Amino acid sequence: MSYISKPKISHPRLPKNELGLTARDYEGGMSTLCAGCGHDSITGAIVQAVFELSIPPHGLAKLSGIGCSSKTPAYFASESHGFNSVHGRMPSVATGANAVNGQLKYIGVSGDGDTLSIGVGQFIHAVRRNVNMLYIIENNGVYGLTKGQFSASADIGSKAKKGEENLQPPIDACLSALTLGGTFIARSFSGDRDQLVPILKAGLIHNGFALVDIISPCVTFNDHEGSTKSYEFTRQHYHPVIHADFVPPSEEIKAKYEEGEAMPVKLHDGTQIVLRKVGKGYDPTDRGAIFHYLDEHQKAGEIVTGLLYVDEAPPDLHAVNNLSSTPLASLSNDQLCPGNAALQKLQARFR
Amino acid sequence: MSAKPTVNEFMVRLANVNGTGSASANALLMKALFRMGLPVSGKNYFPSNIQGLPTWYEIRASGSGRLGRTRRVDIMVAMNAETYRKDLADTASGGYLIYDSTWPRNTLLSRDDITILGVPLSKMCNENFPTARARILMKNVAYVGVIAALLDLELDVIKRLLNETFRDKVSLLDANQLAIDLGYNYARDNFTCPLPFTAKRLDKTTNHIVMDGNTASALGCLYAGATFGAWYPITPSTSIMDAFKRFCEQYRKDPASGESNYCIVQAEDELAAIGMVLGASWNGARAFTPTSGPGISLMSEFLGYGYFAEIPAVLFDVQRVGPSTGMPTRTQQGDIMSCAYASHGDTRHVLLFPANPEECFYQAVQAFDLAERLQTPVIVLSDLDIGMNDWMTAELKWDDSYQPDRGKVLDADQLKKLESFHRYLDTDGDGIAHRTLPGTHPKGAYFTRGSGHNMFGKYTESASEYLQVVDRLRRKWETAKTYVPGPVVDYSEKNRIGILSLGSCDGAIQEARSGLAAKGESFNYLRVRAFPFNDDVQKFLDAHDRIYVVEQNRDAQLKSLLLLEMDVESKKLSSILHYNGLPMVAENVVDGLQQDIAKGRAA
Amino acid sequence: MRPTDTSNPDYFHKVVDCQWGCPAHTDVPEYIRMIAQARFSDAYMLNRVSNVFPAILGRVCDRPCEPVCRRGRIEDKPVAICRLKRVAADNRGDITDRLPRAGPKNGKRIACIGAGCASLTVANDLLPLGYEIVMFEKLDCTGGLMRSNIPAFRLPVAVLDEEINYIVDMGVDLRLNSPIDGMEKLLKENFDAIFVGTGAPRGKELNLPGRHDSEHIYIGIDWLESVAFEHTDKIGKKVLIIGVGNTAMDCCRTSLRLGADEVRVMARKPRGFFKASAWELDDAEEENVEIVVNHSPTEFVIENGKLVGMNFDLMEYDIDDKGRIQDTKTVGEQFLPCDDVILAIGQENAFPWIERDIGLEFDQWDVPIVDKTTYQSTLEGVFFGGDAAFGPENIIWAVEHGHQASISIHKHCHDESLTDRLPFAMNLSSAKMGIHEWSYSNDYDVKERRLMPHVSLKERFEKLNIEVELGFSAEQAATEVERCLNCDIQTVFTDNLCIECDACIDVCPVDCLTITENGPEEELRTRLTAPATNLDQDLFVSGKLPQTGRVMVKDEDLCVHCSLCAERCPTAAWDMQKFTLEIPYVEDEAADGLPAKEVA
Repeated sequence: MSYISKPKISHPRLPKNELGLTARDYEGGMSTLCAGCGHDSITGAIVQAVFELSIPPHGLAKLSGIGCSSKTPAYFASESHGFNSVHGRMPSVATGANAVNGQLKYIGVSGDGDTLSIGVGQFIHAVRRNVNMLYIIENNGVYGLTKGQFSASADIGSKAKKGEENLQPPIDACLSALTLGGTFIARSFSGDRDQLVPILKAGLIHNGFALVDIISPCVTFNDHEGSTKSYEFTRQHYHPVIHADFVPPSEEIKAKYEEGEAMPVKLHDGTQIVLRKVGKGYDPTDRGAIFHYLDEHQKAGEIVTGLLYVDEAPPDLHAVNNLSSTPLASLSNDQLCPGNAALQKLQARFR
Repeated sequence: MSAKPTVNEFMVRLANVNGTGSASANALLMKALFRMGLPVSGKNYFPSNIQGLPTWYEIRASGSGRLGRTRRVDIMVAMNAETYRKDLADTASGGYLIYDSTWPRNTLLSRDDITILGVPLSKMCNENFPTARARILMKNVAYVGVIAALLDLELDVIKRLLNETFRDKVSLLDANQLAIDLGYNYARDNFTCPLPFTAKRLDKTTNHIVMDGNTASALGCLYAGATFGAWYPITPSTSIMDAFKRFCEQYRKDPASGESNYCIVQAEDELAAIGMVLGASWNGARAFTPTSGPGISLMSEFLGYGYFAEIPAVLFDVQRVGPSTGMPTRTQQGDIMSCAYASHGDTRHVLLFPANPEECFYQAVQAFDLAERLQTPVIVLSDLDIGMNDWMTAELKWDDSYQPDRGKVLDADQLKKLESFHRYLDTDGDGIAHRTLPGTHPKGAYFTRGSGHNMFGKYTESASEYLQVVDRLRRKWETAKTYVPGPVVDYSEKNRIGILSLGSCDGAIQEARSGLAAKGESFNYLRVRAFPFNDDVQKFLDAHDRIYVVEQNRDAQLKSLLLLEMDVESKKLSSILHYNGLPMVAENVVDGLQQDIAKGRAA
Repeated sequence: MRPTDTSNPDYFHKVVDCQWGCPAHTDVPEYIRMIAQARFSDAYMLNRVSNVFPAILGRVCDRPCEPVCRRGRIEDKPVAICRLKRVAADNRGDITDRLPRAGPKNGKRIACIGAGCASLTVANDLLPLGYEIVMFEKLDCTGGLMRSNIPAFRLPVAVLDEEINYIVDMGVDLRLNSPIDGMEKLLKENFDAIFVGTGAPRGKELNLPGRHDSEHIYIGIDWLESVAFEHTDKIGKKVLIIGVGNTAMDCCRTSLRLGADEVRVMARKPRGFFKASAWELDDAEEENVEIVVNHSPTEFVIENGKLVGMNFDLMEYDIDDKGRIQDTKTVGEQFLPCDDVILAIGQENAFPWIERDIGLEFDQWDVPIVDKTTYQSTLEGVFFGGDAAFGPENIIWAVEHGHQASISIHKHCHDESLTDRLPFAMNLSSAKMGIHEWSYSNDYDVKERRLMPHVSLKERFEKLNIEVELGFSAEQAATEVERCLNCDIQTVFTDNLCIECDACIDVCPVDCLTITENGPEEELRTRLTAPATNLDQDLFVSGKLPQTGRVMVKDEDLCVHCSLCAERCPTAAWDMQKFTLEIPYVEDEAADGLPAKEVA
């Protein structure tokens, strides 16, 4: 971290979005994470994504649990409400918040410990409920704030900074989400912003739970030789299977593609994501095949990245509960309170 | 214990087997008494089981309005072979026991001091109803017919009740009618009716209803405008959400679109339930979660978070015995301390203590107003006795001019006018800062986190800034005293001895006091309705030489809380404790008082 | 693009816009940091090394550093560099011990013609090396145009005297009232070299009808000189100044002090085409001088032998997108009454005293041909500097000419090649002090440029020599120094340490960093984090980065040198390093020529 804050001045020729804002308007406080932390790169990608989508900053809600990752929401969109909750419990807070106001965009930022260890229960249920949110796992395979313990996403054989070897199998968030009926499942790398930004944008537009598991090297405890989540290891074993181009509704799809090599997927608001398939024969809609694909490549020590699975059809939390299109939080007392006459009437059955 | 036959003063205990449908028959009996203008209360003793274990239901009718639990069984309806021996033993001397004589009881199991009335209920039902299921169900209804004859209940009232219940199900109506008649006629034909215990029409139930506390709490949530409920099923709180759901389906569906103006999420556990409530409240909705002691334990981390981040939330802790396979279906007031200081660090929570379903309704509404006014979690501490038993309670009324107190929430216009917004800045000295809701205005944005924030809502680990935060929260606590409902006090300057209690002890205490008053022994009485305790509680403590603190737990939690929070000498306080899982009876109080007083005299 | 060669001192020098823009390459950020540390004497002495007259220049420098100041590209206003120079001068302690002293005589005699800033600089540089300096001055005082043409209300006489005397007192053989009336005669006096620093003393004429029919029409610089030497002490009520250069500003403001109450400065062109510095225009307008644009003078109107006014054509200009005049039209005429007219339309140098047949060649405009590097004329041993060399410039240029001419004179006297000069060198040293602590003030300060406090309008006209500018207060100086971006604390990148974590890119407040595939400059400039449209500012391009083979690109345009890239860098691939430009002066040339042991 730095103790001086990032100056408020900015480049005078920065691009502006539809709201007339620049990416700087989506920044947050100064990061207190270690210099070079992958999480900060993800923050940069989030800033870019929400800027490009022209989301009004106060139309965004940022939530997190506990851990290095969960500090992230403090570092972007300072004009958005943030909720740094307790360890592993962000999904429940997001669920409650989302249920009562579906008009905000929700970004949850979690880590591998926060999601896959202490919070695995809530994570699973948020996937299952298809809560309409972008759920980011900043995955570094290590507990940073408590100084270097393995997390549940550490790979077998991965070595801690002091040499200890992890012998337990990792929980793979993407594979887990696939089995839980996840509707948007992506994996990316903090060091590949070109891939990450379109995925984040698509995740924000997706109508349901958008999981983006992002390998995010921990420069302090997990960027050494023997780590399988270092910058170098990740770049060497990187296997992009899908590259996503994000196309807003107003824009014509220009990305040239051959049939069979790319697949445009229409999101509920008319946006398209064009999925350019890097891995041959990859079909991001075939849940069963994807499971095998991921499993095989995992065995081969490869980190498969891209938008791995997407399905726009399943109903989200709001649809399942047939919730009012007016946010519940905005309903007036008149709409909610049945009044004394109704009370007297209903008491007849208690006499 | 001998039963003196009386008019309009008796208790009927019905011993059943769980899962046989006896509940509706028992309710029918209770309602019939209520409809005859007779004050009644019902207490259900049920196992942590769905089918097969013993269950008892007690109906106390009291023309003089004594509605606490009583141990005196005037009429035992012993329908469970497994507990017959015990039921026989429990019947008060001079009382009556009714049993199914289709297979006569061993004469060894007899008592000379009671009257045993055998009714061949199964035989009658086997002869009159075609299916096994119907036979079992109708046997229960038939014993209602028997009791109706024995107590001289108005048959019309029963029939009208059946008509109301089975308005749309004629075949069921006919069967029920038949079962009543079978029992009624058998009793009339074979016994001297009525018994010395009889029910005579009174007019003491006008403007009253029979309702359980959980239903009343749910109704309070509905009327308070709660739109979000998250919960994890746990006895004895579950019926709050069941009732809320029923009410919402009736009153909260948009007539045009059919969309729901409410959301109920059955969470994966209590940790998630409270998380969802905090998320929804943070986003501006009135949100609540019903739970019980084990749930409070799981919610504790988030409760502390809610306290420090100052997020409104309403919890209903319907107390029971615990933990785990403790006695989940038995009542207790065992969560007072754990709720008062739930979580880690310097946390303390606003508690409300309803004493009956009526207070459950009004305090549920108050809880939401307090939670938003004080921006903090508020816990309504009910218990199984109040929550799940049928109480005669005053009719609920609603003031249509009520507007929810949303507390200090800044809207977009107010934010626009502000130069800058600081989430935790106490601008008027009451310890309560202004809050904003997400999506209102960019100026209103702030970052919600635990205790590590300063008065401007910014991250801090500074010692002095932390002190500012916790000291202001303490100031807010003082403010809370001016908002929470004060105690109910019955006070006479003549008395220097008082009783201080809370919640469902009320019925037993009232009964004990009136009994003792008849003997010329009077005690003042204060019933706290909220924590923090306000000045009225302090005055009561000051005004007495001796105060009996009556509560339903082993470790005198209310007394401990008084000693911790109030200025009172410990030797002035004396505990009367009841903690066997059953509701308190007047004798508990009387005995406690008399023993202590006797001790004092001896010393 | 090829990886940037940062071993060439020019690369980092260019990043220090003020230093690059200053003819004398004064190390501005360093002296500003010294002021920030209250090291005023050190700041003064650092200035003096390059610009010789910090107190004078702190008031009247033309400030080429300020328009190029990076701060002016970040926000509107540059750092008040010139004013801070004056802060150093105003607050310095006794620095006389630290001034250069004349060295043991080396037997070489140099004639300097004119006692202005160029000649004085030559004296300043050569006296310590043992040269004898004979300085001829036609007037009875030193300073040249600094004294005669800059009014005392801008440059007090005492300030001028003090700094000139630092040099004169080193041992100049000063000969006042000694006009040189022939070069040929001087050449015969066997000086080892002659330096001509006579300035550009001739004001341009405006030969319009009536020009010579009144005594109330003056040449600006001559008139200022006669005011300076108290030959003139009054002027009419209504005065027209023709021209809008800095001399015009001095003339109009001086007029006000001599009794005029309606002073108009007449400009042929619109604003934006004025030669006067913006701040001098501001100062004049603050004193209620009216600046009249688009008036082209046509005639001096004389009635009954008395100047009554001037006629002007009213002009209209067609100006294109780039601000250039495409077409000119006359759209009317106007008469403006006046009592006096001052012509301030430029100066030129004039050398009536140099014979044209002595081997010193003149060009087509009758100006001596002078080498731009060596400052030597076509006559070996005769050097020119200041306005005398290439026409009117300003003091800071004259000083630089003096430095360069001194080197040439030294080389000439030692039979060395004049063009074989020491190159600029540089020194880089890390400014890192701790994990996020640097040996400079790296926190960007949002404060705006401080305004110079002035003597009130009422007071300032009471006397001719009341200095209008009061100088910065301590608080103002303390605030203004924090505005400096420390552009000399350079961002130095080591490509093989970079792990491409993007941390520096995200944290950069002005989006000047990009990691991308390399490409041709023109194309690369379009796909950076923010478009690099300022072609005057270089792109830094690293070598290939180890993990992906991409390159780190930095657009130097708006870097505020906040250090955040280096603080966020986990591998120290970025470092902040203090850049010191090593400028060769004549003493370095002298030391360079000596055997190493003598240097020691």
